[in-house]
Amino acid sequence: MQERVEQVVREFVSRVKPEAGELAADTPLYADGAGLDSLEAAELSAVLEDEFGTDPFQGETMPETLNDIVSFYATA
Amino acid sequence: MIEFLRRGAEVRPERPAVVTHDLTVSYGELLAQAEVAATRLAALGVDRVAVADHEAAPVVALMAAGSAVGVEVCLLPPDGAEQVLDLIGRFDHTVVVTDRDDLPESALPGGVRRVALGALLAPGDARFESEPPARRPHLVLTTGTTGAPRGVRHDWGRLVRTTERIKPAHDERWLLCFGLHQFAGLQVLLHVFAAGATLVGPAPRRPREGLDAMRTLDVTHASATPTYWRFLLAELRADGGAVPTLRQITLGGEAIPGPLLGELERTFPDAQVSQVYAASEFGSTGSMRDRQAGLSTSVLERGDDADIALKVVDGELWIRSRTGMVGYYGEPDIDAEAWRPTGDLVAVEGDRVVFLGRSSEIINVGGVKVHPLVIEERIGAVDGVDLARVYGRRNPMTGQIVAVEVVASAGADTAAIDAAIRAACADLPSASRPRSIRFVDEVSTTGSKIVRREAQ
Repeated sequence: MQERVEQVVREFVSRVKPEAGELAADTPLYADGAGLDSLEAAELSAVLEDEFGTDPFQGETMPETLNDIVSFYATA
Repeated sequence: MIEFLRRGAEVRPERPAVVTHDLTVSYGELLAQAEVAATRLAALGVDRVAVADHEAAPVVALMAAGSAVGVEVCLLPPDGAEQVLDLIGRFDHTVVVTDRDDLPESALPGGVRRVALGALLAPGDARFESEPPARRPHLVLTTGTTGAPRGVRHDWGRLVRTTERIKPAHDERWLLCFGLHQFAGLQVLLHVFAAGATLVGPAPRRPREGLDAMRTLDVTHASATPTYWRFLLAELRADGGAVPTLRQITLGGEAIPGPLLGELERTFPDAQVSQVYAASEFGSTGSMRDRQAGLSTSVLERGDDADIALKVVDGELWIRSRTGMVGYYGEPDIDAEAWRPTGDLVAVEGDRVVFLGRSSEIINVGGVKVHPLVIEERIGAVDGVDLARVYGRRNPMTGQIVAVEVVASAGADTAAIDAAIRAACADLPSASRPRSIRFVDEVSTTGSKIVRREAQ
């Protein structure tokens, strides 16, 4: 499961932000990290929901890194 | 309606009125059926009936019979028994005309009588040959934008008035692509019989059967939704068979994507392509034949004498129609002189009134209003896309995002189409770009394949 989550997120970031390079587990997803804007984060939320049935953006705390997303699914 | 059959039967009774793969019914035969059925309808002692059958010839005869004696006929959609029973209850019907085995008398609610369609139309001698009464109601059901059915009350007198400019065209053979329970089907019916032409009514009325009927039943004219035409073009590409020789292509019922007009023109080079802007409530505003998307701004300059006038108010098209509905079922008559919003959002660009979508379909992406139609047009033009539906998908980040369901051509590479769709929309404002692309076998539709864009 963890590998699949990492693969989906990395493929997504690679598609929308090819200039960001390989996404590290603790790289911030937004701003000075991978640089996702709000609409790209919304899109990632939809991609994750399609792939795994739930998405971490539905919760009270928005995931900040790939690690946060992996943790969400590990505890879901 | 009965007057059209009488006129057609008087001119040449043997001319075909309704043609299917199984039978041909002449004007003379159809008129005889309708006048006998009119006598029997009147003898029922009721002022309205629901009809649950859908074969073109008997249903047309029954509609004409209703118009002859002033009995309101309400054609129910071709749904299962449970939905039909629901509609019977919603619209307070006490008589159901049908030959369906799944709607026996015992299945009907208490107080609802079942009358066999075959019995009403059986040969007989007692023909109703008098002039029709002044009040001749006809009820059309619509699903409405909320999905809850509404009854739209029409009157045959007004409906017939809309056909005054139609010239005789006895050699035209019109394909029935809509259900006769739909207002668009009713419009085709009125046009065909006002012109003394022939109605070709295959069953079921899907694009595949429509294409077959075009090829085998000598169809010359066809009116359908843009979605129907897109599916028909896809069927044509898939089977590689002969391209039907059409003289007239009419589109209506949905906003019409510009690229589709071009594709139809290339596929049917000898056909005249027209667009109709119409709705159950206000009727048809006429047809445009200039092969451009949208309406000419001349429709905004018709003046007070016109039966139907249009204007733009705050980006929405408003209409005043003297030939439209009498009112909704269960509600008072509307003022035929009053202006009403159509729910269609438009922009005036040069000499065109361009459709942007329905007011109820606007996608709200983080407070930014996005019109789905513009995006749908772009995606529809991508190679390998047979049909696209753009809608608002709920999203925890932005409220909604732009999502699209795509029906791909047979054998197409969906990954390549996905990339092509994103490339085609890359220069749109960020909020308008599709954020969710799903490939499906068919888009969410109503019975007539009309694309719906409800938030999900």
